[in-house]
Amino acid sequence: MSTNRETLTKELIELVAQEGMVEPSEITPERPLEELDIQSADFVMILMAIEEKYGAYVSVDNELTDVVTVQDLLNLAISKIEAHQAAEA
Amino acid sequence: MSRVVVTGLGAVSACGLGADVLIDATQAGRSGVKPIHFDDLDAQRVKTAACLSEADLGEVLGEKPHRMREPVAEYALAAAREAVAQAGLTEEYFGDRCGVSIGSGFGGGQTLNINYLKLGREGSMRLDPMSVPKIMNNAAASWVSMEFGATGPALCLATACSSGSQSIGMGYQMIASGQVDRCLAGGSEACLESGVFRVWELLRVMTAEQNRPFSKDRNGMILGEGAGVLVLESLESAKARGATILCELVGFGTNSDAGDLLRPDPKRAAACMRMALKSAGMTPADIGYVNAHGTGTVANDVNEVTALRDVFGPALDGLDVSATKPIHGHALGAAGALEMIVAIGALRRQSVPPTINFTEVDPKIDLNPVANVAKPKPLEAVMSNSLAFGGINATLIAKAYAPS
Repeated sequence: MSTNRETLTKELIELVAQEGMVEPSEITPERPLEELDIQSADFVMILMAIEEKYGAYVSVDNELTDVVTVQDLLNLAISKIEAHQAAEA
Repeated sequence: MSRVVVTGLGAVSACGLGADVLIDATQAGRSGVKPIHFDDLDAQRVKTAACLSEADLGEVLGEKPHRMREPVAEYALAAAREAVAQAGLTEEYFGDRCGVSIGSGFGGGQTLNINYLKLGREGSMRLDPMSVPKIMNNAAASWVSMEFGATGPALCLATACSSGSQSIGMGYQMIASGQVDRCLAGGSEACLESGVFRVWELLRVMTAEQNRPFSKDRNGMILGEGAGVLVLESLESAKARGATILCELVGFGTNSDAGDLLRPDPKRAAACMRMALKSAGMTPADIGYVNAHGTGTVANDVNEVTALRDVFGPALDGLDVSATKPIHGHALGAAGALEMIVAIGALRRQSVPPTINFTEVDPKIDLNPVANVAKPKPLEAVMSNSLAFGGINATLIAKAYAPS
């Protein structure tokens, strides 16, 4: 599980970098997304990519409004992806 | 300025055919949300919508679908026929003194979708030759004008989720100013089509679970469809023909945020409600029930409650507010018309319809809406809000008719 989560975290950071159009090296878990200039329109792109890659649908709801840092976004994405995988299994 | 009254209501919705059917469903908290499946979508993420039942769809479209009409036009016609019949309007009451104001957010979504799929998949040049008149946004308004011979102004406002409310508001203004004696006003929408549904999924404002406006565990809206049409008349002409008056339309406010296309501005929504109150000559204390826009997205709920608190102040805690979208869905361009019919239903039945699926007050907004069960109470005046993408707000106010 921990290896899976590490791989997933790495993949997600790459995905956030690609969709948010920032250098992967700039992305560290504690950085606020705003500081990386990742805005609501980028969120929608990131969520679309998560859906394409992992099949998990994340609506722009309550949980997402609480997301501030890269780590917050990763936590939310991982929980949704794991919930989706559990439901599919 | 002429006083404006409502003498007829008509509705087509996921709850069934008829304004009374819609009002019954909202009062009983009976949802029209159903499973929906699109063969064209490889992976459909959201699997429910407030769509018409197969039986109702068959009844509205007829055995042989009209070659020139989209469902969006048929829904509007069905709602208009019902409203006109209830109002008892006969041929002599149409002509130049009758306007039509029927909005739609999308227009003919079905033909557009079929054409794109056929063109993309088969490269077919053999598309529906009647596509243009079927797709154009004003088709519903035009078919309604032709059906009844209403040769006054025909308008089609395409202002997304405010189309229906603004269209009723425009009808109200045309009558109040004396331009026409009566108007068939409302909105129609029929865009539950694969391509349209997918782009709503991509915007990520739809819930894959249940629609729960104002509830702590809300996570998005549910799409709907249908049409709502009101017969609006000047009090004078309604009285002259001995019509039964259902209620009086007393207030209309509309403005724009001129800010962000998607993110609403609570100051502007509050200003819109104040404008409607001013035109009604009312204070916030006169309103007994607010049918909220209440989509169940976090952006709307936070915005609308902030605006309501601005307008109603501490009295908001004692005001009855509900969102009926979990019952009839978010019918976009028809939403404001369906919800005004629901609000008028509340006024006529002296009972506030509930916000169903509500579980827990959200501390972020701290609003305790009328939840899950209808609340009977004396009502003198009701308000309905529409707050659209594009930053377009509209508020309508109706009150019980009292001959003066």
